Amino acid sequence: MGERRNVTGSAYALTVFTGIIPGREEELRTTIESLPLGPDSPIARLGTVHTSRLQIFDHLVHQGPSQKRESLNSNYLVFTAAFDGELEAFLDSVLDRIPEADSWWRHCVGYPGLADRAAFRRWIRHNQIHTSLFAVNSPNRSVSDVVESLALKEKFLDFAIAAHGLSDVELQDRFSRTFGEAG
Amino acid sequence: MSQRATSGGNRLGRLLCLTLFTPIRPQWVPVLRATMFLGKWVPFAQQHILQFNFIRFVRWTIVSPALPYNGAPQKRDKLKYHYLFFESNFDGPWQHYIDAFAYCIPADIRLVWGRGHDFPGPPPAEPLKRWIAMNSMEGGTYYCAYEHASTRMVVSALTVRDRFKKFQAETRGLTPAAFRAAYDRLLCDVQGHL
Repeated sequence: MGERRNVTGSAYALTVFTGIIPGREEELRTTIESLPLGPDSPIARLGTVHTSRLQIFDHLVHQGPSQKRESLNSNYLVFTAAFDGELEAFLDSVLDRIPEADSWWRHCVGYPGLADRAAFRRWIRHNQIHTSLFAVNSPNRSVSDVVESLALKEKFLDFAIAAHGLSDVELQDRFSRTFGEAG
Repeated sequence: MSQRATSGGNRLGRLLCLTLFTPIRPQWVPVLRATMFLGKWVPFAQQHILQFNFIRFVRWTIVSPALPYNGAPQKRDKLKYHYLFFESNFDGPWQHYIDAFAYCIPADIRLVWGRGHDFPGPPPAEPLKRWIAMNSMEGGTYYCAYEHASTRMVVSALTVRDRFKKFQAETRGLTPAAFRAAYDRLLCDVQGHL
């Protein structure tokens, strides 16, 4: 039941809270805030991640007089990701393609490192908090579906503009040459 | 100004990641669990949640008072309350859309957060904006595989692709005149998405 709540369509919502080794917060903050962005992000190498965030939880916001005051005893690195497929495949991809993961999780208590694959998987699962509700705008569309669709839309728009005024024969021929399949 | 300087850890391209971590009143935890369960399994609920075409992914996670513990030197956290971890990935900035939430789905907002401590149930929108600003967890780093496309652009592109594939399958071996007719129908169908 817990695992299924993380899944909507073909997308999986992962949420992981890991306690930070006391005194390492600023070094960790510098590490994650220095990671390359966009296509240069190490996360981009996985090819299956729609969105992901790494952030530090180091305080609780007091809501007002009706709440009893409380504070965290430890600070946490919170990792979230929305990706295609199952968690095991995702963790295998992290192990194989993101050696930089050591640079942020090594500041967390109990982190076994990427070298011990089974221990890494156990550690992530131990610190995972199952999603209660996950809603996805296009639930059965993979990252590659989206990326390819955006590229096709641009290509087709260019084609439609360029094809304006062509004869029927020219239109069919140009479509075939542009999109690779005969009309 | 660099992208790094403007990202704030939760902004990239057209996307914004809003993260809130707020306490739940003890008596409201079972109600919220039931609400989330229904939201997951009642078909209409997902459509209702995503009725706004600027939201891409949204998650709610009820976090138990005992946070994950890995032994020393971590100090164990046993909080007084359950907390609601909320993360929404959408076309930012969020201030532009709070009015829609506050005035279109105030009952939904109050159902989820309205039993939280000192939550300013909407409408009006301004107190809700202040509450979100107060609780938004900033910093870190953020990634999106298609950061320069808005959610509406993504939905349009997927629609174009589906119709385009259908067109390709239907037009194999057609005469030029029949191909033209099918092409004109394709253009008519997708013009609103181009």
